[in-house]
Amino acid sequence: MSTNPINIDNTSTLANAQLAGRFAARHTPNSWSGLAALVAISLLTLSAFYGLINFSGQGADWQLLSEPYYQSILLFSIKQALLSTLLSLLLAWPVARALYYGRQPFASSFLNLCLLSFVMPTLVLITGLVALLGRDGLLTPLLGNDWNLYGLNGILIAHTCLNMPFAIRVLLQALQHIPDSSWVLAAQLKLTPWQRLRIVELPALKAAFLQLSGFIFVLCFNSFAVVLALGGGPRATTLEVAIYQALKYDFNIPEALTLAWSQLLIAGLLFALIGRAGGSRWLSVDTLRRQFTPKPGPLMRWLHHGLYGLCALALLLPMLALLDGLHQSDLSRFEPIALLQPTLTSLLLAGLAAGLAISLAWLILHPIRMARLQQWRSLPLLDWLATHALVAPAMVISVGLYILLLPRIDLDRYGMLMVLLLNAALVIPYAISQLRPRLLQYDAQYHALSQQLKLTRAQQRATLWPFIRPAFLSCFALMLLLALGDVAIIAIFGNDHWTTLPWLIYGYAGSYRIAEASLASLMLLLICALTVSLFERHRHRD
Amino acid sequence: MPDTPCALEVNQLVITRDNRPLHYQLHIHAGEIVAIQGRSGVGKSTLLSAIAGFVTPQQGEILWQGQLLLALPANQRPVAMLFQDHNLFEHLSVKTNLQLGFDGPAPMQALAEGCAALQVSELLHKTPAQLSGGQRQRVAIIRTLLRPEPLILLDEPFAELDPATRQQAVNWVGNTARATGKTLLLVTHQQDDVTQLADRALMLG
Amino acid sequence: MANYPSLVKRFAPLFGLALGASAQAADLTVYTYDSFISEWGPGPKLEKAFEQQCQCDLQFIGVEDGVSILNRLRIEGKNNKADVILGIDDALMEETRKTGLIAPHQQPLDALKAELNWQDGQFMPVDYGYFAFIYDSRKISQPVGSLKALVTSDASVLYQDPRTSTPGQGLMMWMKAVYGDQSNQAWQQLASHTVTVTKGWWEAYSMFLKGSADYVLSYTTSPAYHQVVESSHHYKAAPFSEGHIAQIELAAVTTTSDSPELARRFVGFLSSDQAQQIIPVTNWMLPVRDGVELPAAFDNLVQPQRIGFSASEMAQQRKSWLREWRNAATQ
Repeated sequence: MSTNPINIDNTSTLANAQLAGRFAARHTPNSWSGLAALVAISLLTLSAFYGLINFSGQGADWQLLSEPYYQSILLFSIKQALLSTLLSLLLAWPVARALYYGRQPFASSFLNLCLLSFVMPTLVLITGLVALLGRDGLLTPLLGNDWNLYGLNGILIAHTCLNMPFAIRVLLQALQHIPDSSWVLAAQLKLTPWQRLRIVELPALKAAFLQLSGFIFVLCFNSFAVVLALGGGPRATTLEVAIYQALKYDFNIPEALTLAWSQLLIAGLLFALIGRAGGSRWLSVDTLRRQFTPKPGPLMRWLHHGLYGLCALALLLPMLALLDGLHQSDLSRFEPIALLQPTLTSLLLAGLAAGLAISLAWLILHPIRMARLQQWRSLPLLDWLATHALVAPAMVISVGLYILLLPRIDLDRYGMLMVLLLNAALVIPYAISQLRPRLLQYDAQYHALSQQLKLTRAQQRATLWPFIRPAFLSCFALMLLLALGDVAIIAIFGNDHWTTLPWLIYGYAGSYRIAEASLASLMLLLICALTVSLFERHRHRD
Repeated sequence: MPDTPCALEVNQLVITRDNRPLHYQLHIHAGEIVAIQGRSGVGKSTLLSAIAGFVTPQQGEILWQGQLLLALPANQRPVAMLFQDHNLFEHLSVKTNLQLGFDGPAPMQALAEGCAALQVSELLHKTPAQLSGGQRQRVAIIRTLLRPEPLILLDEPFAELDPATRQQAVNWVGNTARATGKTLLLVTHQQDDVTQLADRALMLG
Repeated sequence: MANYPSLVKRFAPLFGLALGASAQAADLTVYTYDSFISEWGPGPKLEKAFEQQCQCDLQFIGVEDGVSILNRLRIEGKNNKADVILGIDDALMEETRKTGLIAPHQQPLDALKAELNWQDGQFMPVDYGYFAFIYDSRKISQPVGSLKALVTSDASVLYQDPRTSTPGQGLMMWMKAVYGDQSNQAWQQLASHTVTVTKGWWEAYSMFLKGSADYVLSYTTSPAYHQVVESSHHYKAAPFSEGHIAQIELAAVTTTSDSPELARRFVGFLSSDQAQQIIPVTNWMLPVRDGVELPAAFDNLVQPQRIGFSASEMAQQRKSWLREWRNAATQ
């Protein structure tokens, strides 16, 4: 089968009928509704900016660019993001190798733990880290007198705790995609371990490394809660935090806009570049057979075990540290029933948001698949638009829409609808990035075959579903978990009739009720953990 | 078969591959079995892909029974094609794979007979990953031949088969194609295929 | 663009059914901050007490915090739903007044405590507190006795960002009142032994309770909470010899209110003896009138001397003070 690029410019001599045929294939109803969904989520971002600009009656304040304050936060944003990315990837790689080359105990639970760590509400992670490494933390005595969690230390630790586990999963997946035949060939050619690394492993990981570094960099570059809580003051400020500060008290919209455009430009540009560079993924036929993966020597095996154990410990400790908050004060006045309604609300909201997000992502992926198959030149643009919510400043989107909608709609009544919509919109990029590679792989392998077999739409769905089901389920779980942790959006659009679990934690916390806050955090963590294990089990059912 | 009408016409077809134009000109009669031969890289597979609708030519026309094929998307052409690989959905069972590509219910009887003839009846409940290369190829051949399309394109169909199985497959393909009146183009490097199966051979390049 | 909101309006009832938000028009709508109306805050008790008096339906709408009330008023303008706003503090008073949405409250001021020295005809005090640094007396036996002593000490300190929290703004005024033009150096000196500057009060306070610092910026009333609710007596506020900055939380009637008379009555009710007994033990601030019966813990609180700036000075200077802090603290 050949799908080499076809030069579209030279079609002028083709018969008109042929063009008509091409056109019919390009624009199916599915791709139109996908484009509509893409326009809708882009409009959401645009209207947020419009809301801000329209309200203040002026654009960005470009004078800010020359202030040392601006330059220092810009530099710091980049510096901490770069370091966080480097740290996450450098730590994740050996752990992923340990999992790939050797049999590690509880490997599947560990992978669930990785997912949990990535989606764990930052509020919970921060509490755990402070209990562990704060001034009176459980581990602090081991760290010497000069230790201070707050500042770059804390930011890097938290970002690594959040992103390294995710990188482990992605790198492991990339390793598992190395076809057995490559290892057979490597063994046949008697490649040394170094050659195997260079010739087999690194090419398989290259795309994953590129995409991960872009992804993690953008997440850390836009980081908000972690920097705010562990940054240790104005010295450690990211653009996103600065936007929040500009809007909060001073209502300084021009300054916020300058910061927002800078963030969008830098993160967006980087993301687009990475998208281009990482576009060529190592696609391979899935094989169940894995008989020829090289076995490491005894020393390497011990090293792998050790690394793996350390990593598992590092991920578990911040969660276990939450238990420490429970006996600090009594829980006698606490009624567990108080958690019931917020728990149900959280699950309902997150479930709806996840469903909406994954449906929209599915629609949006249609034109992207078409674009990929037919080599449209608009592919990078479509890709960028589909994932732009990842780079767009979340603070600007929610505040901008709030300003736009508040005078026009009864937000006290319909605010929860916005909570739903925005939660969905902000997690769409994750859904896209989860489903996209699998769908493109499917198309690369089977598009011609499906066309050849003239499968009806129902048959196409029936052949695609068993292929995409595992990715789809874990994607849904990811959306659910991300939406479960939201506090930023509900803080702006929520109302007191609909308390979610994270919002309850803030509520408890805001009125000195630390034990209750710890308990609610544990409850939230437990729900997240259950969700992860439920979906992962279901995913591996067959 | 000079008295039968010309079913497939490829007229002054030009396809650019790796910045090099490939020229094609051929006429095939209905019910004919034609072997396409030529050196590697001469564009044999490209020709089949163009007829099936997966490669867009720069110039020229392809006609089937007088109808312009290039105007049609791949899934509306009267073609059943066997690719060199990726003929089976890896995540679906062999049985499910065999039943795809039929307009309405699959001809279970004919499929079962094909499986028996090519000795793959025992494999129906396995997934393609559990099959050997030759087994995969035979499963795909059965489906391609039995699909209700008048024009069959086979890209190196017997490449992975041992001599005994190969003989069985060649015989079954020949008998089935002639019994159902299919027009068949196959790309092959084997002179045996030409002599045992084809009405004539076309040399490309 | 123009059609977007109207579309939402058309479909909104559908989702309203699904999400069941119950926001039927009440007789009196009050904008306040979230923690004020949480189930353990003063909101529910005040609502019950006032509804009994007026035979009317009172509805609170909570936003994130005090400044969000102002921001919401700014965004909504004349379309706001509030009859009363409750929870803006004196530092934001002038900027709130500038919206032009605040009507005179027409309430007598003579029952208010003399130390408040309150004269404003539009904003009515509801409660107040003094900012103070809290310490754990089990760990520190000799607390610092002044702001200058704290700044020059090497004790670890937690405070809140003046851009995002009212205690942070309070400290900014405090530094300015004590150091004047030298505050820049004082900030830098403080920064050298600051553990972290948090977004809000809670983050700093919870870190302090976990032992993250020697001192945390809070209110003189914080020890009362620990005594009344937890019966623990070791958290104490350090009295500073230079005096303390006060924060006065306010209520006001909007010009856009449909029932201004009821609104004024509610504002009056908030400073009544009945309401003032509820607020201190739920919002952990001080009552604005004398003679309110309170738990004994309130008798033992630090009684500071009040210093600071007028609301109009504050409104004028805030931006430049913030900039000064921002540059001093980023160095």
